[in-house]
Amino acid sequence: MLRYSIKRILGVIPTLIIVVTFVFFFVRLIPGDPARLVAGEQATLQDVEAVREQLGLNKPIYVQYGRYVLGLLQGDLGMSLRTKRPVLTEVSARYWNTMALTLASLAWSTVIGIFLGVWSGKNRGKWQDFTGMTLAVSGISLPNFWVGFLLIMLFAVKLRWLPTTGAGSWKNLVLPSITLGAHIAAIIARFSRSSIIEVFKEDYIRTARAKGLKERTVTWGHAFRNSMISVVTVVGLQFGFLLGGSVVTEAVFAYPGLGSLLIESVNYRDYPAIQSLILIFSLQFIIINLIVDLLYAVLNPEIKLS
Amino acid sequence: MAGKNTAGKQALNEKTDIKTPVSEMIRKFKKQKNAVVALFFILFLVVIAFVGEYLVPFGINEYDYNSILQGPSAAHWFGTDEFGRDLFSRIVCGTRISLAVGLSAVSVGAVCGTILGLLAGYYRGIVDSIVMRICDTLFAFPGIILAIAIVAILGSGMGNVVIAVAVFSTPTFARLVRGRTMALKNSVFVQAARNLGASDARILFYHILPGAVPEIIVQFTMSVGTSILTASSLSFLGMGAQPPTPEWGLLLSNGRNYMLTSLHATLFPGLAIFLTVLSFNILGDGLRDALDPKLSD
Repeated sequence: MLRYSIKRILGVIPTLIIVVTFVFFFVRLIPGDPARLVAGEQATLQDVEAVREQLGLNKPIYVQYGRYVLGLLQGDLGMSLRTKRPVLTEVSARYWNTMALTLASLAWSTVIGIFLGVWSGKNRGKWQDFTGMTLAVSGISLPNFWVGFLLIMLFAVKLRWLPTTGAGSWKNLVLPSITLGAHIAAIIARFSRSSIIEVFKEDYIRTARAKGLKERTVTWGHAFRNSMISVVTVVGLQFGFLLGGSVVTEAVFAYPGLGSLLIESVNYRDYPAIQSLILIFSLQFIIINLIVDLLYAVLNPEIKLS
Repeated sequence: MAGKNTAGKQALNEKTDIKTPVSEMIRKFKKQKNAVVALFFILFLVVIAFVGEYLVPFGINEYDYNSILQGPSAAHWFGTDEFGRDLFSRIVCGTRISLAVGLSAVSVGAVCGTILGLLAGYYRGIVDSIVMRICDTLFAFPGIILAIAIVAILGSGMGNVVIAVAVFSTPTFARLVRGRTMALKNSVFVQAARNLGASDARILFYHILPGAVPEIIVQFTMSVGTSILTASSLSFLGMGAQPPTPEWGLLLSNGRNYMLTSLHATLFPGLAIFLTVLSFNILGDGLRDALDPKLSD
């Protein structure tokens, strides 16, 4: 187990280096002169040269890269062109909003997804299965920005139960988290169904039934617990996708998170902020995948033994 | 003579009854009623994409300032937008854009991914390491974030959205084909071809690739739905299609400004995206089940 964990953690390092390198070259891949882009179209030649000096763009590429990596290690993500404040300050102000939204979405979608999946799998081939899986395939196919608007129309405009935009209270989280989580709930439902159907084929389930246990005990006490090992992996992986998916949802609800910050930065062509946000999204994704892998190893005795 | 005829017919039957992976897949697929319906719906959309603009009652940029933001009626089935343009006509004509983006982006991703997967799985070693490292890196970005990054570099526009979606669908195909290639590489028929002196290219494209085709078809179908969703999301965010293109994501984005008074302007474009993506997903599920019934469990 320890050997597996160390191997897995060390395996992340090359990916991290490549991602950081990709993000470093990101600004340099943009057609045109980066200093001109940063300084703005109206800037004079002197201004452009001043920006070039300030950003170190006149130094050799390996010096720039070294400085960038060193800066990252010290928590320096550069300055935002839009707000003229450090990107780290901008990010930290909004980070927890996105995290709260992601966690709320993950929580409800996991509960609903697992329940729907188990319900469908337990009643395989019956109307419950058909209903559950129709809901799931629909959930996967829904454009989340559309769902968001329909929810706003119904719950915020017609019924006036919940606010349309903003953050700060649990009420602000309800509609965005439903919008963001619908897709994930559907994926978890499909996976839970497959997983529980596999477990229902096992001998120990036949034994449990032969012992005369109630079907409810067989389902939730025996089958459910064993089927959840692989579901945990899917739930964990979806956490990373939710962080990415928050971009569209935050745009719909004008929710002040990292996703809306990314859109604002793209619209303003605030390249240092775009660069840092892409790096943050990617790093979170890598770290979550690593944690899921390690968690799976802890939960699954087969990996633990090997 | 009669005996000869019977023998000939039998030989013909034997020939037509040969079970290839693809013919088996088609036979099992026909049993999936939902998926067959989805396939017909997609074919219908393809026809609409080609002939829709000749059938619609109004032009896509036919402004009518006397009928701005009108609800659905006999004259305008899906209502009108903020310039009085007929939404039904715009949505029908937008079919071509959404299908073209989805299909072309995934086709590029599938071709690139398949070639990379074949090379990685067949040659292994350094080629495999490089290809898999590229895939790991691309997998390290949530799909839409990678697409936004690419559009931020290349600029807004549907052409760049196609490139962005193609890039993030490439590693999925590469991994899939690599796995199949590694499995088929040591099979008897590949070894026989190699012993007969077949070149690497011939082995890869004539012997190994056909064995991976069913999986590629399933992945292709499932990816088209995701690609249409991503492309419309990017247009919605202002990074994809630009006005006055009748792209569905953009129509929805325009409609949101008038959502309180004219819900139809967001309802119908969203419904078009939903039904199209849904049919690709149902078709993908059906093909997957036809490929391997165990997978549907």
